[in-house]
Amino acid sequence: MIQLFHVSKSYDRRPALQDINLQIRKGEFVLLMGPSGAGKTTLLKLLFCADEPDEGQILVQNRNVARLRSRDLPHLRRTMGFVFQDFKLLPKKNVFENVALPLLVQGMSAFDTRRKVSEALKAVGVEHRQYSRPPSLSAGEQQRVCIARAMVNGPMILLADEPTGNMDPELSSEIIELFKTINARGTTVMIATHNRQVVGQVHSRVVTLNQGRLVSDEGSVE
Amino acid sequence: MRRLSYCVREALRNIRDNRTTTLIAIATTAFTLACVGVFLLLYLNLRGVASSLEDDIQVIIYLTDGQSPQAIEDFQRRLRAEPQVATLSYVSKEQALADFRTQYPAEHQLLQGLGENPLPASLVVTMSPRFRSPEAVKHWAERLNGVPGVAQVQYNRDWVENLTAVIGFIELAAMGVGIILSAASITIIASTIRLTLYARRDEVEIMRLIGATAAFIKVPYLLEGAVLGALGGMLSLALLRSGFEFFKVQLGGTGRLLGLDSTFGFFPARVSLAIVLIGLMLGCAGSFVSLMEFGRARS
Repeated sequence: MIQLFHVSKSYDRRPALQDINLQIRKGEFVLLMGPSGAGKTTLLKLLFCADEPDEGQILVQNRNVARLRSRDLPHLRRTMGFVFQDFKLLPKKNVFENVALPLLVQGMSAFDTRRKVSEALKAVGVEHRQYSRPPSLSAGEQQRVCIARAMVNGPMILLADEPTGNMDPELSSEIIELFKTINARGTTVMIATHNRQVVGQVHSRVVTLNQGRLVSDEGSVE
Repeated sequence: MRRLSYCVREALRNIRDNRTTTLIAIATTAFTLACVGVFLLLYLNLRGVASSLEDDIQVIIYLTDGQSPQAIEDFQRRLRAEPQVATLSYVSKEQALADFRTQYPAEHQLLQGLGENPLPASLVVTMSPRFRSPEAVKHWAERLNGVPGVAQVQYNRDWVENLTAVIGFIELAAMGVGIILSAASITIIASTIRLTLYARRDEVEIMRLIGATAAFIKVPYLLEGAVLGALGGMLSLALLRSGFEFFKVQLGGTGRLLGLDSTFGFFPARVSLAIVLIGLMLGCAGSFVSLMEFGRARS
């Protein structure tokens, strides 16, 4: 599903990732661990094509992202879902409209959009807030909306960058449970986090980065 | 269809959310187009005046005194047969004196001192349309000058030519001012759209990440520029119309339009529509300039 071969990336001559080799299979649940500045976010940015590697190759669903033309990027991204620590919800649109956006850009009909958005909101437990705007929601609710938006079009891969950052343990646990449910439906999930509590909750593959290098890969099915 | 309606709604929302910058962009476009429009209005009206004056180009053939009525009649017959002549009328010495007295009532005593009527009889010729060029009129007048019985030939071509030259200069000025101000208008609309894009950069980033194509992201901003430009064009027409009516009332009331006020007119509908369309295109161009910079990023 995701393959990285000798991937390196630097910013202002400071290495953010160095010689990363990694293979993630379809349906895996991977925790990307490491302290701040380890390169977790950089790795996710390369996977969702927000940036390009300086060296090495990245294959996502057997497509080399470096060779992908700009006009093909949106089609690749429609097969992926993203969850951010800061949610990145549109504050002037209500919950329903935020979650419907990925379907709108694909040109889905209004009827199907309504059905799929309702299902996604129900799955994350915020269907009662569909007409509220994000600023009026709690952090936990906003993250649930963000997850609903990421899963609404049934992505093959779900990438999450510190989805439980700044959350209390109970709320964090609820969010991780949502990811486990999504993974159980067949979606490959990769979560970047520095929260070690999550490891105990998930019991999945844990890839650890430190100073841009892959220092351990535990629990791989290989 | 849903995507198009989304783009239109987003464009209108951008306009509504950024009222101040929107108003500034509309006003700037309006003033820009109004400045160009002033020149255009002047140019079109002067061209109309020149055209109506060309229709009235006349050649006056003054006849020598002492000719018999039969000789004058024969000369008229010969002239009417010439292709240059559209209409011909005879003004007798008595008629010329009567006309002079009517036109210059204060000066008619001057002629009384001379005893007999000094004004010559004349033939007033209106030229056929295909012989109204400066060369044709000049050539024909020179030929008539040598004809026995003709004292002098006069024609009013010179000042029409001067007016045409002035119109040419105005046309050039309108083009120059138009190009400079259009560039200014594009720059200002581009800045407005750039501000909107900057204010909504997070939203644009999110749209990219969820798989929106560049066109889907850009179309609302192009529409926004088009709406700003078109509204600016409409406002400029309103400004020009008000200014035109004010000018007509002010000058018409004092009689300075020399009876030409019926020749003056505002833009015909197609020119008005063209101004709105030019505004719309300037708006699109402004948006396009902003979006070009924006589109360079891969993500």
